[in-house]
Amino acid sequence: MFINWRQILTRLLLIAGIGGGVAWTAHAEVDTATIEKNRKANEVCFTCHSAAGIARPPKAGMDMSKLKDSRVDTHVFNGSDHGVMDCRECHSKNYYGENYPHDPAGKTATSPCTECHAAKVLRLEPQFNASVHAKIQGVKEKFTCNTCHNAHVNVVQKRLKDPAKIVAQDNHGCLECHNSNETFAKFAPDNEKTPGQKKIRPDIDTIHEWLPNAKAHWKAVRCIECHTPEVAEGKMLSHEILNKEKAEKKCLSCHSSDSSLKTRLYRHLVKDEQQRLGFTNSVILSNSYVIGATRHPLLDKAIIGLVLLALAGVLTHGVIRLIAALRRKGKKQ
Amino acid sequence: MSNRIYLLPLWIRLWHWSNALLIILLAITGFSLHFADPKLPLVEFALAARIHQIAGIALVALYSLFVIANIISGNWWQYVPKPPGVLQRCWIQAKWYMIGIFKGEPHPYRVSEEQNFNALQAISYWVIMYMVMPVVLLSGLIFLYPDFAPDRLFGFDGLLPVAIVHYITGAAIVIFMIVHIYLGTTGSTVTSMFKTMINGWHEGDH
Repeated sequence: MFINWRQILTRLLLIAGIGGGVAWTAHAEVDTATIEKNRKANEVCFTCHSAAGIARPPKAGMDMSKLKDSRVDTHVFNGSDHGVMDCRECHSKNYYGENYPHDPAGKTATSPCTECHAAKVLRLEPQFNASVHAKIQGVKEKFTCNTCHNAHVNVVQKRLKDPAKIVAQDNHGCLECHNSNETFAKFAPDNEKTPGQKKIRPDIDTIHEWLPNAKAHWKAVRCIECHTPEVAEGKMLSHEILNKEKAEKKCLSCHSSDSSLKTRLYRHLVKDEQQRLGFTNSVILSNSYVIGATRHPLLDKAIIGLVLLALAGVLTHGVIRLIAALRRKGKKQ
Repeated sequence: MSNRIYLLPLWIRLWHWSNALLIILLAITGFSLHFADPKLPLVEFALAARIHQIAGIALVALYSLFVIANIISGNWWQYVPKPPGVLQRCWIQAKWYMIGIFKGEPHPYRVSEEQNFNALQAISYWVIMYMVMPVVLLSGLIFLYPDFAPDRLFGFDGLLPVAIVHYITGAAIVIFMIVHIYLGTTGSTVTSMFKTMINGWHEGDH
């Protein structure tokens, strides 16, 4: 995470309380005419930077294989949070137009995320600095926001709404490295045991062997439910990614009626909690049955009542039998 | 008149005690999982989940063997209450449990190789083993392989009805077990039926 003079200035303004005017670009807050204008402008970029562009190069003799890492799915991008913006808001204006193929330097001439998200970054940076990705030597420098949050794809939780989609999106960010030897190697630090060699990616199934039904968990919750510290209700999830030693291993933090899923994956839905059909945590139940968390108090009372009734019944029967037997014995004597 | 007959072959006794052990394990771990709460520490959650899964799979295998052995040996016939007068015999047996047992009256039925169980026993064992048990096992297997559950149902996760059925049938088996263990003390002596279940020999005045 590099800091330039513009970021320093923004931070100073923020601290002084005058720089709150960050450029929010949520879909709802951008008017239709601007969106249309931006998308029209973006079509120039997508002439090459899209699957269709690569399949049909606009000029003969262009080596389109160079674009394999800078190809954008236009449909996905338009639906993403940044999909309402002009590409030039983040990518340099110097390479825009019909003068292509442009200089490869255009690939890295990108504005830092703090240009728009200064306040958020200011708040999250200490958390990121405490995270496992920042603490391993040589890894921190390779990380940008985009490493985990794909700016051409991601949709904010509040707008995505469906927990299954949120899980798929967010876990993709983690698994892109942690489930791929090739990508992991790009970030991997040196191996402590064999100097000069990169750390080998630990197998994701092996390190999660302790977790019952690991695959079911990965479909239902995000890696960050356990790999970030707990935050207070209503607060944004921490950006401090915890390693396997520090990650949450207490199943009950989710699997209980006071489930922490309410402040994590379901935090945007928790205000809609109405205990539908009498179920505890019915907003969670709308997506996943979480044993221990999604119970029906009335059913529980009925079941416990019947078990206690059976116990009391046999106990009473036994005591009466014993008394009757003793009395019969007494009479015989 | 004393009645001593070899009633239970070894395979039934082995099945019975293995079944009992697995059901007790499943009941304890199932309770721990369903009522999971930091204020109510029972079996540690991940451990309970592992034990419940292993014991559940073992019970499915044991139940399959039980059904096959019942068919081959003809033991399934013991669970069928034989007419005529099934309801009347049930009523006589119930009356003995409610009144006669306290007066020291003799058992209202006589155990034989042809008829191991009284009418109430036969009906309740039949319901538990051939109606409740398959449902609890099948719902447990769907829990283990949730892809077989419906995706969504009435706006909830499709696993919810499976979970509720598993919970209710599991609780029914626990209630049956409590009553079953207690009624095991109602033989000629308090321990005679437990001895039968160990050595296979029925001894007593009925």
